Amino acid sequence: MTTTETLTDRYVEAAMRTVREDQRSDLAAELRGSIDDQIEARIAEGDDPESAERAVLTDLGDPDLLAAGYTGRQLHLIGPRYYLDWWRLLKLLLWIVLPCAAFGVALGQILSGATVGETIGSAVVAVLTAALHVAFWTTLVFVVLERTGHETMDTGPWTLDRLTEPRQRGAGLGDMIASIAFLLIMAGVVLWDHFIGLVPTQPGLPFLDDGLWPWWITGLFAVMALEAVLAIAVYGVGRWTVPLAVANGILNLLIAVPALWLLGTGRLLNPDFFPTIIEGADGATVQGIIAAIIGFVIVAVAIWDTTDAALKAARARRA
Amino acid sequence: MSETEILETHLQELRRGTVVLACLRLLETPGYGYGLLEELGDHGFPTDANTLYPLLRRLEKQGYLTSEWNTDEARPRKFYRTSDAGVRLAAALTDDFRAIATAIDGLDNDL
Repeated sequence: MTTTETLTDRYVEAAMRTVREDQRSDLAAELRGSIDDQIEARIAEGDDPESAERAVLTDLGDPDLLAAGYTGRQLHLIGPRYYLDWWRLLKLLLWIVLPCAAFGVALGQILSGATVGETIGSAVVAVLTAALHVAFWTTLVFVVLERTGHETMDTGPWTLDRLTEPRQRGAGLGDMIASIAFLLIMAGVVLWDHFIGLVPTQPGLPFLDDGLWPWWITGLFAVMALEAVLAIAVYGVGRWTVPLAVANGILNLLIAVPALWLLGTGRLLNPDFFPTIIEGADGATVQGIIAAIIGFVIVAVAIWDTTDAALKAARARRA
Repeated sequence: MSETEILETHLQELRRGTVVLACLRLLETPGYGYGLLEELGDHGFPTDANTLYPLLRRLEKQGYLTSEWNTDEARPRKFYRTSDAGVRLAAALTDDFRAIATAIDGLDNDL
């Protein structure tokens, strides 16, 4: 009889672990009484005491689960009330934080003269660490919200107004990310060119004229930052508008005009670049041809990008 | 999940509210946990102990049941009784259950 007593004792004790102090004695007494009643009934049906007790306790199941039923304790980390808010916020934060972390770390590594392998390695580690932190802390906040019973962040019920506006082609999330990624890559190439050099056999040989540093390059980065802001604005508005298209045209002019002027006056490209990597008189010829091609590319890209945005803005206005 | 398990789950969902209704009606005469468990089974509402006890607590917390310890007998027992609010809730649930039964019969007539 002592062993069966011990089993019930242990079960009730286990079930009461998560119950509040002030409810504990009442619940424990009731649970013990119920268990004893059921054991008695089984013994009356012909079971021996030990197997009767085992059967009753087994039927009651996991004591923590039973206690959760008593106390209304939540058995989930984030329930349906917060799940969607949590998931949307997590996705948004990851989209913002991870590219910034990767770019920031890569930039720092390049500037401090790290090798390609080191740079990629550090960036990967930084992205993984940032992802872990973002996921953990965001989840923790929602776990606390779930347990303190706060309302969701966007108060009020869902209404039809919250349906996402249909997005124009060219103004979606993918377009914004592509634009910003392109700007980041371009900035990376410019920095790489200055600090490391684009030609592996000629380290320290820049393609762009060193005289552009620091002010012209700073200006270029400033305009590129504005282009990133513009890409975000287009995504935020959901389509190209006339003011956005005009801003886009101005930014294109701000890059194309100085670039062409520098190119024309021979101050954009490093005059030693091709003569250094190509032996003999051919180097100077190639330099001239490349300069001409770059001039055309600058004009073509500026015209195409400005026209494209203008057409999209016009189409959106008609729609 | 096998077909019988799926059937079990659906039956459980269908029966969930009826146990509340049966408890409220049966406890108009006071009863304690295990006794009620037996009574429910006899009346055709087979219920697990680990479902019933938390349910009684919840109904008590919501004010549909009142409770009192009876220490007259050798084993002290917590007796539950349906409160006035509980009686009204049981009436509302019964009405709704009849309405559902009628609606389900109506499904047959349309065939």
